[in-house]
Amino acid sequence: MTIATFPPEPPPPASWTRYLGFSTDAKVIGIQYIVTAFFFFLIGGLLAMVIRGELITPAADLVDRSVYNGIYTMHGTIMLFLFIFPVLNGLNNLLTPTMIGAPDMAFPRLNTAAFWLVPVFGLLLIGSFFVPGGPATAGWWSYPPVSIQNPLGHLINGESMWILAVALSGVSSIMGAVNFVTTILRMRAPGMTLFRMPVFCWTALAAQSLQLIGLPALTGGAVMLLMDLSFGTSFYRPEGGGDPVLYQHFFWFYSHPAVYVIILPVFGIFSELFPVYSRKPLFGYVYVSVASFIIVGLGLVVWVHHMFPSGVAQWMRDLFMATTMLIAVPTGVKVFAWLGTLWGGKLRLTTPMLFCIGGLVNFVFAGITGVMLATVPIDIHVSNTYFVVGHFHYVIYGAAVMGIFAAIYHWFPKFTGRMPYEGLGKLHCLLTFVGANLNFLPMHPLGLMGMPRRVSSYDPEFAFWNVIASLGAFLLGVSVIPFLLNMISSWIRGPRATYNPWNAIGLEWLLPSPPPEDNFGEEVPTVISRPYGYGTGEPLVENQSEIEKRLQLQEVLA
Amino acid sequence: MNSSAPSSINRTAVLGLGLWVALLVLLSHWMGRQAHHWLPVPASNAAPLVDGLFSFETAIGTFVFGAVLTVLVWVLLFNRAEKYDESDAVPIEGNTRLEVIWTAIPFVLVMAIAVYTMRVNHRLGVLGPMEHIHAHSPLEMQGGYPADRLPAEQIEVIARQWSWEFRYPGRKISSTELHLPVDQPVTFRLNSDDVLHGFYIPAFRLKQDVIPGRAIDFNLTPTREGRYRLRDSQFSGTWFAANQADVVVESQEAYAAWLKQAAEQPLQNGLSVAVQEYAERQQKRNPGWATVPPAPPPQVNVPGSPNLPHDA
Amino acid sequence: MSSSLPAATNESASTHAHVNHNLTGFIIFLCSESVIFLAFFSGYAILKTSALDWLPPGVEGLEWRTPLVNTAVLISSSGTIMLAEHFKVRERLWLFRGFWLLTMLMGGYFLVGQAVEWHGLAFGFDSGTFGGTFYLLTGFHGLHVATGILLMTIMLIKSFIPGNYVGGEQGVQATSLFWHFVDVIWIILFLLIYVWQ
Repeated sequence: MTIATFPPEPPPPASWTRYLGFSTDAKVIGIQYIVTAFFFFLIGGLLAMVIRGELITPAADLVDRSVYNGIYTMHGTIMLFLFIFPVLNGLNNLLTPTMIGAPDMAFPRLNTAAFWLVPVFGLLLIGSFFVPGGPATAGWWSYPPVSIQNPLGHLINGESMWILAVALSGVSSIMGAVNFVTTILRMRAPGMTLFRMPVFCWTALAAQSLQLIGLPALTGGAVMLLMDLSFGTSFYRPEGGGDPVLYQHFFWFYSHPAVYVIILPVFGIFSELFPVYSRKPLFGYVYVSVASFIIVGLGLVVWVHHMFPSGVAQWMRDLFMATTMLIAVPTGVKVFAWLGTLWGGKLRLTTPMLFCIGGLVNFVFAGITGVMLATVPIDIHVSNTYFVVGHFHYVIYGAAVMGIFAAIYHWFPKFTGRMPYEGLGKLHCLLTFVGANLNFLPMHPLGLMGMPRRVSSYDPEFAFWNVIASLGAFLLGVSVIPFLLNMISSWIRGPRATYNPWNAIGLEWLLPSPPPEDNFGEEVPTVISRPYGYGTGEPLVENQSEIEKRLQLQEVLA
Repeated sequence: MNSSAPSSINRTAVLGLGLWVALLVLLSHWMGRQAHHWLPVPASNAAPLVDGLFSFETAIGTFVFGAVLTVLVWVLLFNRAEKYDESDAVPIEGNTRLEVIWTAIPFVLVMAIAVYTMRVNHRLGVLGPMEHIHAHSPLEMQGGYPADRLPAEQIEVIARQWSWEFRYPGRKISSTELHLPVDQPVTFRLNSDDVLHGFYIPAFRLKQDVIPGRAIDFNLTPTREGRYRLRDSQFSGTWFAANQADVVVESQEAYAAWLKQAAEQPLQNGLSVAVQEYAERQQKRNPGWATVPPAPPPQVNVPGSPNLPHDA
Repeated sequence: MSSSLPAATNESASTHAHVNHNLTGFIIFLCSESVIFLAFFSGYAILKTSALDWLPPGVEGLEWRTPLVNTAVLISSSGTIMLAEHFKVRERLWLFRGFWLLTMLMGGYFLVGQAVEWHGLAFGFDSGTFGGTFYLLTGFHGLHVATGILLMTIMLIKSFIPGNYVGGEQGVQATSLFWHFVDVIWIILFLLIYVWQ
């Protein structure tokens, strides 16, 4: 390797139209995933505004009950399958190859195919709003027998389109998972052993492993649901000898690990960002990495905690309570590691850091209510109430979405070559944190008082907290505005970013902003130390100072 | 260098920390007591157990949350980088002893909670044996529900889209308002005629999914007189939210009087908000998306009152 | 500046490392695919053990002798495919193609046998949980057998491209792995459905 050939010359600016096509470059696909995901985030968010609009008063007076049921069903389905999983896959696409020094993913064309399935099943789901009978209305769980009632008796109906869309989503996710796992296992830079790999890649590996193991179970259960719905079989139909609870086992065997698929990458994001903005190494890097896989293992044996009141045997409740509580231990290891990273650091309260801190606070709160939900007698009282809705929105919105925003602000300069505006970013963070807490904290007393979830109307004593929750929701709706403004205007005319605006340590920060199509190309630097070496003075790679001088020179000449 | 200065700093720090921890403990204890106010009035023998557990976990949760928040506020106040300071902090990469401590303590804590809870679980012992029954079993073919052959202290509950029917064994009466004698153990046999429902009475802290094709025995003992809500807790379709009923817990005498009076009533339409709303909905030109029509209101002796206030 | 699009075919030119990861990816995919069969198997077992009337009215059980013969053919085809690979490694391409084709024919025999069995059965897909699970399990497996035969056809055609197998034979390895996988699934299926009656 000669200094003259590495790092590669910055390419001429590529056309923005490549984001509309079938590029096989993971960095393009990553942006495609993220933008598509936020498009559906807005749709899902709009549905949430209707939900909270209905629930601001006790009576079902905004929309018809059947419409409300379709709206809450599609809100959940869209937010999960069309927002959160795609946006995380987008981050995976941007970060995994660059962080490990690979030129692209292991299977670039499979990558393209996996992405393009998303708009396909997205259209299918949105299309289901317009078929006779309306969309699926049985919740994002789609429990039979209610989900297979098919009032109009048509073959093509909202529920069958829902099942097909979810199945396609599963196919897309499995394609992605095969790709990410192969890439991480096989394409790391020389010198990057597993225990020199950034935690984000550890958590990506863990999360994608869960997808591989869990998704087929959901697919199997969904195939049987579709057969019952459309072809008269009786897998779940009691009249034919079937068992509705069997579906629940298939559903939750995947859908519980799915929540770890969501949160593990966010754990990865926190683990990457806290060191940068505290100027300190990640506390206990090895423990944090290993904890990711302990969570994978435990995460596969807790699913019955979603079924405590379903009619499962007492020994099952005891067993799954114990396993569920155990998950708090490796999760706690990570939380304490982040606190240990912050302690004694030199904190810079940038937008990404503020999102991480807010996300951490919300996550700890959600963890506490999670232990309560794991406790069977308490769960018998609060399951299927707003207590659960509050808990999971704290995790998903309060922690995961805030983590995702943190990642977007942090890596925006790297992949767009522009700096986002700090003022708008901080405003976004404040509105999000306040809005999320106002929206989701009142759900806990509501659940404790006995308000069931998924209701289009409620008894008058629940009105007070519902009004507050709805106001919080509207604030969250507003909070999206500074984010969208920031993203669009920064990308078009934000100040140009250097190769390492945050002075961070990582392979992706040794590439130009934005990186060339094949990242390091043929000349991948050799990794010689553990990640997060802040304050140690050790370089991450061989010849690091030459690489950085060359990058600086390129920027001066540009 | 004054040799006593470092130890006096240490002593102040330890004292300060100890005081703060004591404050957190007090706050946690207080929150644990407040937790009872967030729950409905306790009305069954299960409620004190559930509330006690919840209060305990609230206290622990408050302590943990308070401790984490303390650390965060501390670092936000005292560990900020100076405005133009781009340098790194002291590189502390880990501490194995700390790792062991903060793995072991949470492990012991959650296992202790789990073991304690299993004991509570078994004391509650609400769930009786589950039986599979055919939807059209020979028993039913012979006429009458199995309730007629059940022991006297069982009440049969039939959940439908969207109403609750309660059949009292031996007395051959039925109602859409559940009446129970206070301090008497009662066993429900839960049935569904169509889809999954949830038999949930918040004041009792108990719920059980009602599964079509199975008859589920469910035990409890109400301990406080009053009128409470029974709410469907497992999504069951369009009028799921309106599928509620009242539960009246009364003295033995009042209960006996009610039973006697019920036996004299003719069968009439039971309460079902869904039936009413469906009729109104049919009048609209554009009612909404497709729905299964509600089951006809159950024919019962006592429909009950649709608009009396409830305690919880 | 290098701007090569890494190929995802069974040619060897791939990333800068010149290593093709197709086989790794395929093995990972197969592990994932096995879970869907595991889901169907456990569904079958749970429904069977908790059923009050498992078999539909009029059905006494399943005839197992002909399926046993089909099983023997399918299992033997795993042997023939291994032989085919053995000859390919030794670059005896015509022997490879012969045993490869034999494997495909044995797979075809199995599928025809399955169809004949289906045709002669007294119950349908919607005959209760037994009917549903039977046709789902055997049908899903049959789909995999058909896919295997299709993959083998593609590999067979490719074997006539001169120099195709010099260097990268991952397609053949992957197809063969898939075929063994389909076989193992069938053994479990056979035990579950025909033996455990």
